[in-house]
Amino acid sequence: MQRIDFRDQISKNKRNSFLLIIIIFAIFVLFGYVISFAFDPGWFFVIMIISIIFSLSYILISYYKSDKIAIMSVRAKRASREKYKQYYDLVEGLTIASGLPMPKLYVMNSSQINAFASGRNPENAVVCVTTGALEKLEKRELEGVLAHELGHIRNYDIRYMTLVTVMVGMIAIVSEIFLRSLWFRSGDNDNRNGIFILIGIAMAILAPIAVYFVQMAISRKREYSADATAVKFTRYPNGLIKALKKIKDEHSPPEKKVSKALAPLFFSNPLKNLASTHPPIEKRIEALERM
Amino acid sequence: MLLWLLLGVAGFILLVIFYYYNKFAVLSNRIDNSLSQINVQLKRRADLIPNLVESVKGFMKHERAAIKAVTDARKTLVGARDIVGKVKADNVLENALSRLFAIAEGYPDLKANTNFLELQRELSSTEDRIAYARQFYNDSILSYNNLCTTFPGRFFSKLFHRQLKDYLEITEKEKKLVKVEF
Repeated sequence: MQRIDFRDQISKNKRNSFLLIIIIFAIFVLFGYVISFAFDPGWFFVIMIISIIFSLSYILISYYKSDKIAIMSVRAKRASREKYKQYYDLVEGLTIASGLPMPKLYVMNSSQINAFASGRNPENAVVCVTTGALEKLEKRELEGVLAHELGHIRNYDIRYMTLVTVMVGMIAIVSEIFLRSLWFRSGDNDNRNGIFILIGIAMAILAPIAVYFVQMAISRKREYSADATAVKFTRYPNGLIKALKKIKDEHSPPEKKVSKALAPLFFSNPLKNLASTHPPIEKRIEALERM
Repeated sequence: MLLWLLLGVAGFILLVIFYYYNKFAVLSNRIDNSLSQINVQLKRRADLIPNLVESVKGFMKHERAAIKAVTDARKTLVGARDIVGKVKADNVLENALSRLFAIAEGYPDLKANTNFLELQRELSSTEDRIAYARQFYNDSILSYNNLCTTFPGRFFSKLFHRQLKDYLEITEKEKKLVKVEF
């Protein structure tokens, strides 16, 4: 029955990704619309054309380059086969177990035990682990973590989660720009403009909050199913359980290189804050022990 | 009107037949592919053995029997015709190797030899891969057999003359590692 479940999840992820792209596009155009009325209706067409061009290029870049953006933003480096033999060995073994193509492997400098995967599909996927994970985890524990990341790749979580990440970033930027631009507005007010400015302000404040809650809800469920997929690949839940226990007991400081938007991509919450986008580690261990 | 209805029904049936035909084809291709993956990994392991024997020979002069067991097992593996024979030979090879590595524990010079350590690592990762390749092979057979035995796939499997496939199984006795005695 599990097989049907994950197929459902894959098609759901693909559908949601498509919807998300439409929503991103619509939000951009809507912002352009509101902004053009708020400032100067005379520039309506110019602003609309700019916002459509901008949103299309934004979507195309985020769809095709999301993995590179994520990798660059945490300053990860391509892992060399000579230096990281075990890392390569384990991922190659797991690609055989899962039938997935070999992802590109990266390493990021951090004392935390952590990892993430990104990309738009299994053929264009990247996996990145921290140096802390490579040093502190035993072979089978590291394998569990890597299998979890390959689970995200196989389930097409990477496409959806990366798109959400990009959307969160985009909405934050646009609403910021809008709110700031209000300071520089010339004084000639009429009522029509006033209403649109109010709508704009409301959108600018509410949108990031709404997105934040969406982001929280989606990534929690995905972590559990990626754990389950990892066990399907390795047939050895203990590796993952031991890795999670090690993460629970480690006292590394929050990772400063990771932005809030990027945090849900990670294996465990890199920011270590309470408003977590990840399910509690205890719950994940519990679920794995029941397998 | 009736004609259109009949055409619609015929078109639908044709689509369903295409769908199931392709599904069977995809799944059995996956089985073939995963089988070749097992063969690739088995060959990889067999290719590593001569190097290992070469690097071990100088150090372990008095362990002829253990070394010979490894080379013999390799010979059977290379000579085996079908996948079942190969997997059986590979199990024998695995036992012989683990005995050889256990004996190697008693040779500090060998344990410090980077070439030997590299080969040991390579062989153990190949062992993982063989296990994973077999797991994926059996998984592929499971999804194929599931399609063959559940409705409506069962009906189409008869139509396309698709037979159930056998899992690659190893008996418990074969799986058990040989005890090492000193």
